[in-house]
Amino acid sequence: MSAGASKQSPAERLFTLTCCLMAAPVIGLSKNDIFRSVVSYAEQGSDLAKEKMFDRDKSDLREMGVQLEVIDSSSFEETDSARYRIAKGSFDWPADFEINNEHMTLLELAAKAWNNQLLSKSAQSGLIRLRSLGVVESSRQLSAFTPRLLAQQQSFAPLADAIEEAKLVRFSYRKTDGTSSVREVTPLKLRFIEGQWVLLAKQAREIKNFLLRRIVSQVTPSEFPGEPVSTAQIDEAEAALVTFVTNNIAVLKVEQDSEAWWHFGASENGTVEVNFMDEALFAEDLMEFGSEVQVLSPETLRQRIDSGWQQVLDAHA
Amino acid sequence: MPKQEIDAEDLFNLSLSIVGLVLRDGPMATTELALHFGYSEKTIVRAVKTIANSEDIGRFETHFYVDDERLAKGEVDFSAGMAALRRPPLLSKRQTTALAAGLDFLAALPQFAGNVALSQIRNQIGSGSAPITILASPARQETLQTIQQALLDKTQLVASYVNQLGEKSEREIDPLRVDYVGRRHYLRGWCHSNQAVRSFRLDRITKIENTDKPFSQAAESAEIPLEVFGQIENETTVEIFASHEASEIFWNFPATDIQRDTEGNVTGKIQVGSLKVLGRHIARYAGQVRVLSPESAIEAVRQFALHARNGSMTTEDQD
Repeated sequence: MSAGASKQSPAERLFTLTCCLMAAPVIGLSKNDIFRSVVSYAEQGSDLAKEKMFDRDKSDLREMGVQLEVIDSSSFEETDSARYRIAKGSFDWPADFEINNEHMTLLELAAKAWNNQLLSKSAQSGLIRLRSLGVVESSRQLSAFTPRLLAQQQSFAPLADAIEEAKLVRFSYRKTDGTSSVREVTPLKLRFIEGQWVLLAKQAREIKNFLLRRIVSQVTPSEFPGEPVSTAQIDEAEAALVTFVTNNIAVLKVEQDSEAWWHFGASENGTVEVNFMDEALFAEDLMEFGSEVQVLSPETLRQRIDSGWQQVLDAHA
Repeated sequence: MPKQEIDAEDLFNLSLSIVGLVLRDGPMATTELALHFGYSEKTIVRAVKTIANSEDIGRFETHFYVDDERLAKGEVDFSAGMAALRRPPLLSKRQTTALAAGLDFLAALPQFAGNVALSQIRNQIGSGSAPITILASPARQETLQTIQQALLDKTQLVASYVNQLGEKSEREIDPLRVDYVGRRHYLRGWCHSNQAVRSFRLDRITKIENTDKPFSQAAESAEIPLEVFGQIENETTVEIFASHEASEIFWNFPATDIQRDTEGNVTGKIQVGSLKVLGRHIARYAGQVRVLSPESAIEAVRQFALHARNGSMTTEDQD
């Protein structure tokens, strides 16, 4: 181990490599240019060791958001025709990207919500990067608020990876009627809606929403790249979900002064209108209140809850 | 909170970020940078040295000239040599996913309904700006506002509270923190009648007022336990089975002996404070969660469902 120890730390190597690539001419740098410029590579004994180190560094840089481009051209005189450069725009923050102290407070809360779970490290490192945009004092107003999100579904990590790598994945998905089928999708976004994690993904030609709770197998990443989807298409799919939820209205009758009454903030006569995303999930939320809530409409929800009680009784006969 | 240790990836990230900030705002003290980025001064110095050691040995040129003398005096100043690097790269996809999901989570909370700054930053980060429906009453938002004000002013609250057994009481509470865990808000505060830190579910607070009386001494020095459900007395161990989709039930209780079968169904034991409240937790999954033992727990769930079904019958269903 120590025989190959470099004067440079791994962080220094990545930093120097980034600097060299940033300072490169438009045609990029050849692998040999890079091996001559960065001391850690120069110090490696064999070409194989250099190659291995470089491969690892390339993938680390990509993971950290430094987008490397490989230009393949045999017109260069180097024996090795591949040339490397940093993709245009990967260091260009939008001119109107501004973060004030309120934004920073919210971002800090968003990172804090991960509470040492899965993406906590990525949230923190993202926050560090955003702090380089200037010193802003975060507001004291929310300092005593501790949100803690739960993302313990096993599918969360492989889906986050697939989003990052823009890869296709496969999983088995069970609908509320109990039928399950294997889906092959391009994951686009993970969202938290009404207390549930929802995956926005492209399946065949359609962008669909999948509840992580109903993914009932391992998520298997595929070697194939996902289908490209534009931001506009994602926005459209998100807007469609909002419209869907806005039109899903339940009318409830709530027992006065009960916990449900305080929860839903019912009117004087005890009725309240509530929007919901998914009927089965909403039924669960309502069943927690037992006899304190009655569904006046829609009828499908009322029936679902009625048969839900029967299922509980059958399971506890 | 300053962190002492940092891995290569985070050190690289910090170095890029320091370049961005110092080139933008000019020389800064290491103490200032430590405070700003939330790392120790030692780590800041390591990151600055990372920037300094960025020599291109092929060309005998350096990317950044760091002023070592000033660094020894606790000041960070450097100029760009041949470096074209001026700021860190845009957020990586994983950083974006993490922050966007966190912001999404905040957007689903009642106290952020209609928050303009939140929708601006969600737009910037790319977590979308579409409002998300919220299951919360205006009354609960008022409760939150009252608590937040008391937290800032460090004043005592008086609350009417209904515990999980339905028992009503008046409590004097010095608020310490508001937690949002899973899907619920909890006020963590010093309870004067218990002389201890307690968690109060916000949707069980039926009335709350700010007294303007200052915090008690005890509250000032109180420590807040990590878990909101840390105060179970006379607990019962209940063995349950949950289908794959309903296995999240195990997140809500202290759980042991967890076993997952090949289908993803889970069995295990949970600790429950009162069997009276078990019904609601089990019943919501409409048979996808089943109590296996003890018999008293099975009966408690059965009674809850029977009562709920009879209560929810429409007139034509009744005899």
